[in-house]
Amino acid sequence: MDYTLQFGQVWPYLPRLLSGAGLALQIAFLSFCGGLLIGTALAAIKAFGPGWARRLINVYVVFFTNTPQLVQIYFLFFALPDAGILLSPYVAVLIGMTLNAGAYLTEIQRAGFESRKQSEMEAAEVLGFSRLQQIRYVILPHVARVLFPPLSNHFIIMTLGTSMAAIFGVEELTGQALNINAQTFRSIEVFSVTALIYVALTLLASVALGLIGKFAFRAKMRLA
Amino acid sequence: MLERLAEELPQIFGYYNLIFLGKAALATLGLSAIGCIVGTLIALVLVLVRMTESRLLAPLRWLAILFVEIFRRVPFLVTLMLVFFSFQLSGADLPLFLVAAISVTLIASAFLAEIIRAGFESVHRNQLDAARAMNFGLIASVRHVILPQAWRVILPPAFGFFVLFIKDTALASQIGVLELTYAGKVLNNKGLSAGLVFGVVLVIYFAISYPLSRLGARLEDRLAPSRHSRA
Repeated sequence: MDYTLQFGQVWPYLPRLLSGAGLALQIAFLSFCGGLLIGTALAAIKAFGPGWARRLINVYVVFFTNTPQLVQIYFLFFALPDAGILLSPYVAVLIGMTLNAGAYLTEIQRAGFESRKQSEMEAAEVLGFSRLQQIRYVILPHVARVLFPPLSNHFIIMTLGTSMAAIFGVEELTGQALNINAQTFRSIEVFSVTALIYVALTLLASVALGLIGKFAFRAKMRLA
Repeated sequence: MLERLAEELPQIFGYYNLIFLGKAALATLGLSAIGCIVGTLIALVLVLVRMTESRLLAPLRWLAILFVEIFRRVPFLVTLMLVFFSFQLSGADLPLFLVAAISVTLIASAFLAEIIRAGFESVHRNQLDAARAMNFGLIASVRHVILPQAWRVILPPAFGFFVLFIKDTALASQIGVLELTYAGKVLNNKGLSAGLVFGVVLVIYFAISYPLSRLGARLEDRLAPSRHSRA
């Protein structure tokens, strides 16, 4: 064991790693938003929709939450070309992560829809709130308070999940690390710096989300 | 495309491919089992270290906290690369499966430590104080006072984590461990169409994960109400 760590060779590449971190956040953010849209729509259908729609949604949720995201993206990336659909790595990862997030977020949102209380709605109606006002002043604050912590938790998990994109050649943080590793062969140094950037990234994200949750939604959150 | 599928279907379910996929599925299960079992043990130690109070052990406590906080915030792929290259450069000639098992265990112990700690904290502080006042040591009070009450709180999220975890082991394919995902890649390279191969792999993962997640949901249903009624 005569290996000396030399971080000096990694520093020049730091801007590349940081731009990769930006891309990782971008992927996480976009697929989270897409997943949130899917999740909200499907959870609403699950709460109010017809039985067959509910069963269909269940199939989607159960399938995507019980198989690895990596293999799902493999399927999109390698199998769809056979059917004539060519996806770029970035798009394949984005679609895969969005579909995956949609399934998990449907499950999380369902809990939110279930947590609305009939008595609160009736109280609002007695006070003369219109339907829109009911949603704006009664349902939303309540649901946001309940849902914000698990949703932000899932966002952090997704930020870590973006490292999967490197496998398909997207040059986000891990992808950049793999490239730099191939150029410098300073594997331990490159990957430990990468790991620290991920720690910083997710810490930053959880503090920001915690502050938003605390002040905007009065959710019970643990900072950091 | 459909006739191609019909042509390949008997091929992928040929005798040797079935054995190959079976072995790969066993590797996936083995990795997950090692991660869960060893991870739980290490997590328990981490939580116990964090509960110590002597001033001398303070650095050890910080280390335990640092370990948990870092490994919960580093993607599995990066941990895998770090462990992989560390062993490579240190000259230790370990089988790839072991390298993957070690990284899996590192991640699992960090996440499970958080789950166990949350469970322990759900037991009222007075209980621990009472146990200590009766001259129970730390381990004895955890074993006889905290664990009997906390396991109901710990089990559902821990089980949920185990199920998530089985799917995370798919990343071990990236360093060349022959588990399900890697087997899919091999079969794909042998010329079978990607849709069929990864479809089959997805179905096998599903067959492993779905019964466990149903079991987890049942556990949660059975354990959760008694938790609320007691509070």
